[in-house]
Amino acid sequence: MTVRSTIALIIAALLLMRCEEQFVAELNVTDLDLIVVDGILTNENLNHRIKVTRPHTELGGTGIPVSGAVLEIYEGDTKKFTVTEFPVGSGEYFTEQMRAVVGEVYTLRMFYGGKVFFAQNVSTPVEPLETIQYSQSAASPDLFRIELNESGRDPNFISHIISWQGTQSCQVNEACGGVIVHYDLKTADANELFKPDKKEFLIPAGAIVVRKKYSVNPSYRSFLRGVLSETEWRGGVFDIQRDNASSNLSAGAIGFFAVSTVVSDTTIIQ
Amino acid sequence: MAFAKVAIVLLIVFLPILSQAQQPILEQTVALNVSRVTLEEAINQLSEQTGLSFSYNPGKVPVDKLVTIQANQSPLRKVLEELTRQSSTEFEFVEGQVILRAAKKGTSKSSNYTFSGYVKDEASGEALIGATVFVEDLKVGTVTNSYGYFSLTLPPGTYQLMFSFVGFANVSESLELGVSSNRVIYLKENSPLLQEIVVEARSPTLLEENLMSKANLKPIDIEQKPALFGEWDAVKSLESQQGVKMHSDGSTYYYVRGGDRDQNLIMIDDAPIYNPSHLLGFFSTIIPDAVNDIDFYRGAMPASLGGRLSSVMDVRTKRGNDKNLSIWGNVGLISTKLGIEGPFKKNKSSYLVSGRLSRIKWIFKESAPDIEKFRFSDLTGKANFTLNDKNRLFLSFYTGSDSYLTSTGGIEWTNNAATIGWNNVISSRLFLNTTVAASAYDYFLSVDPATNTRWNSHISNFNLKANFSYFIDPQQDLSFGASLNGYNFNPGNIASDGTNAGPITSVRNSGEAILFANHDVKINQRWGVNYGLRLSSWTNQGEAFEFIFDDNRNAIDTLYFEQGDRYKNYVRLEPRFTVSHFLQKNTTLKASYSRNVQNIHFISNSISPFTSLEVWLPSSINIKPQLSDQVSLGYQQFFDKVGLTFETEFYYKRMQNQIDYEPHAETLLNPLIESEMRFGETTSYGLETQLRKENGRLKGSVGYTYSRAQRRFKEINNGKAYNAFFDRPNQINMTLNYDLTLRWSLSLNYIYYTGAPFSSPVSFYKVNGLEVPIYGEKNNDRLPDYHRLDVAATLKLNKRTENRFKHELTVSLYNLYNRENIIFENYNKVQDGEEFKVKSNLLDNTQVPTQFYLFGLIPSLSYSFKWL
Repeated sequence: MTVRSTIALIIAALLLMRCEEQFVAELNVTDLDLIVVDGILTNENLNHRIKVTRPHTELGGTGIPVSGAVLEIYEGDTKKFTVTEFPVGSGEYFTEQMRAVVGEVYTLRMFYGGKVFFAQNVSTPVEPLETIQYSQSAASPDLFRIELNESGRDPNFISHIISWQGTQSCQVNEACGGVIVHYDLKTADANELFKPDKKEFLIPAGAIVVRKKYSVNPSYRSFLRGVLSETEWRGGVFDIQRDNASSNLSAGAIGFFAVSTVVSDTTIIQ
Repeated sequence: MAFAKVAIVLLIVFLPILSQAQQPILEQTVALNVSRVTLEEAINQLSEQTGLSFSYNPGKVPVDKLVTIQANQSPLRKVLEELTRQSSTEFEFVEGQVILRAAKKGTSKSSNYTFSGYVKDEASGEALIGATVFVEDLKVGTVTNSYGYFSLTLPPGTYQLMFSFVGFANVSESLELGVSSNRVIYLKENSPLLQEIVVEARSPTLLEENLMSKANLKPIDIEQKPALFGEWDAVKSLESQQGVKMHSDGSTYYYVRGGDRDQNLIMIDDAPIYNPSHLLGFFSTIIPDAVNDIDFYRGAMPASLGGRLSSVMDVRTKRGNDKNLSIWGNVGLISTKLGIEGPFKKNKSSYLVSGRLSRIKWIFKESAPDIEKFRFSDLTGKANFTLNDKNRLFLSFYTGSDSYLTSTGGIEWTNNAATIGWNNVISSRLFLNTTVAASAYDYFLSVDPATNTRWNSHISNFNLKANFSYFIDPQQDLSFGASLNGYNFNPGNIASDGTNAGPITSVRNSGEAILFANHDVKINQRWGVNYGLRLSSWTNQGEAFEFIFDDNRNAIDTLYFEQGDRYKNYVRLEPRFTVSHFLQKNTTLKASYSRNVQNIHFISNSISPFTSLEVWLPSSINIKPQLSDQVSLGYQQFFDKVGLTFETEFYYKRMQNQIDYEPHAETLLNPLIESEMRFGETTSYGLETQLRKENGRLKGSVGYTYSRAQRRFKEINNGKAYNAFFDRPNQINMTLNYDLTLRWSLSLNYIYYTGAPFSSPVSFYKVNGLEVPIYGEKNNDRLPDYHRLDVAATLKLNKRTENRFKHELTVSLYNLYNRENIIFENYNKVQDGEEFKVKSNLLDNTQVPTQFYLFGLIPSLSYSFKWL
């Protein structure tokens, strides 16, 4: 039993009387003229995606695409990569095929609505992936859970893209896949330590898991820590003050333009 | 010369005759009943009654001075003595007329005598704190101090004294004051009565004191309130006090007049308690069983108290029964309490030991077998020794702990406090209380029990204090003294039984020297003033390291200080001032100003009601002392015919150097923790009203408060003012207790607060599949209003009240109408069966808004006994 599960057990015992229920939220929605940037360049040689949207006001909704922006990415002071919106109107912009190099400074420049938005980031090395750990569910032996543990010494996160499409477990009209991201930011935060339980996500035998481990540099770590404080770590018993996650974008844009180093592996669960 | 000789002869011959002649005139009885009239008017009435003429120089005799005298068939001499005493004049009877002149300096005081002593409970010998000693003839009085001591300095004469204390029968004694004397006065607790008791004609003590924004809590008042799980709780009982806002259900955090939660000092016998919570905050460490008296100050406090901006809860434990052995206890759903007290030597020395142990582990035995420890406990002890008439010694200690552990880790915290006190009656008018107190608080997060590896934060202090009380006369007393404090702070480091690296965050040491003086004066029958000054000098001392930051909060230098190096000093003056004015009998108007300074700071950006990983830091290079300036205006009226007291106070408070935090500040294991802090100010104001009844079958209070608290920080919320978390404008409190029969009593507690402010999302965006809220203005929204009704019924199981063994059963219904008082709202959870959890699969897009509450209706049963 890990310290976190110990704490969770104790807190659950302490709060035996608690009750959580759904309610109809009446948010003080304001018309925020904000630009959201969500992009990450990696050392993978591919067309990297940068998504530009406006915020949405419904929980579970989708951001409104920002189309027609002009984006440029620079490596160092001189090398420039072109970025193209595809498909037009989607708010999703792709770089030409490129690979981000560790230690190089990458700059995003975006022109939209008469404003220039600017962000810089630099990649740090990533530690190797450790062997994937998964275990059979005691209740359903055909199902497995992926064990998510701390890995390495440096801050990182591991994305698990899971698909059991084409296996017998995949029923028609069913989404036979999922994504789990495990963050290991090497932080010491009470709200992380006492974070709320996660809904269990069990996957069937035969599922393919593609793992990608991303390095996280200090500014990206700070951003992710803010994001997690407002998402995965929010709703525990030691919540902290609510606030906006930091950003490395100028001119009032939010989100983050990150550069990271990635290692990956693929596993078939059996 | 010849004429002079004749005159002398005539004088020698006639003087005895004249003297004899004046004696019957001065001994004639007169009636003079006047209240707050000028001396001139009183003299005119006497002149009319007696036919005597009065001669005086209006330029030198204070003829406008207000005097009050109630004399029926009293000798004229006595009436004149009293009039001249009140007006600081002298009289002489010459040639059939009364000559009045201003008193020579020192003449009036030099002939006074002092009557002093202690007022105690007859049954237990317990000091009665705040008992009134009233001189009927002079309409003056005093109250006993924290040790039950009083001192009255009066002119020689015969006086009728009245000793009174709420819940006890008055004692009237005649005092022949020819020499200074002292006495112990014993009062007897009132027998339970069903008929409405006679309402006291005199106003409550608090009305007559030159203090405001003060409340006094008796253990019996706390025990009569309905309590969560039947666990009576002194801190939670503050929720019925005006100006106090509890955080929420399940919390011992409270906020006073717009101040933050670290701005409240709780002291047990002069030793501070840093975390008064058990079980995350469901219960507090202070149970009423071992408590004698609690004074709660939320405004201008005496200069001897301080160190926090917003309130002081001064808890005095029982000294122990010095007459008989007595045992008491309580069994509830959560814990068992047991206390024993008795004399070492009858009427001379006593002891008290009381303990509480939780019994809740069994609840989780089946559902959570991995839990090894799941308990909290308290142990309080006190020993008192009367060394002689002038010297008393007491030792008291408190230790409390919480342990919630499995084999792989868990959380623990401990509070330890001890005090050695010495009461010395230097003279009948000069009382010295000297205390040596120590207190320590530790919080542990155990991460590897095998190697005892744990995160530990710590604060401790050692205090030496000498407090003199000089009872000048019934109209004035002076208290003064000095205090030395030593503090040690560990703002959180990892330690284990093995080799430890140096601290990540610097351990700090600080010293504090305090001088204080307070003068309380009743200027005349209408006006009174209490003013004081507190001078504090705070010094940081090595071994420590501190960082220097640039304007962008980047650390640009590290300063190392060797052990013993003094490297930062703050000297602050704290004036306090209260003026009271009797508009008429039983009606006062009071005004006060106070400045408070706080040099220890609770570092947390948690919005949780529960005790979390607690960190304290001192004022230092990067943290300036917090300051508050508060003005209050109060009106109090006592309706003697119905025994009701009406109080209303308006306050305005400005607090500087307040602490808030960078978004998502890292407050644990962060050596640069000060770079996460932001400094600004809070302003608060409010109008508090309360109607209170302290005697009779029906007792209780009803109050309404309107208050606001706003914070302004240059770097938060774009520099715009925002509602503080504790800005909850409307507050209604009602506490009632009714003795239905001799054996049955009923109680009720109702509370209403406007919902607490919080930041709700104004929109969302997605990153890495996570839906991230966007916040607009800070604290732009409010949680639903908080309200709750609790009821309780107590049955005394004895049919005969005179039994030594007394026991009772209490049934409580907490949150009677099952109100769901929301603590948090969340926007990140998905449904999982009957629970709501954070999603694992980021493709799941079914998150819904959820809200979290703690207690619905909680019934409880508790059994208490006393063997006296």
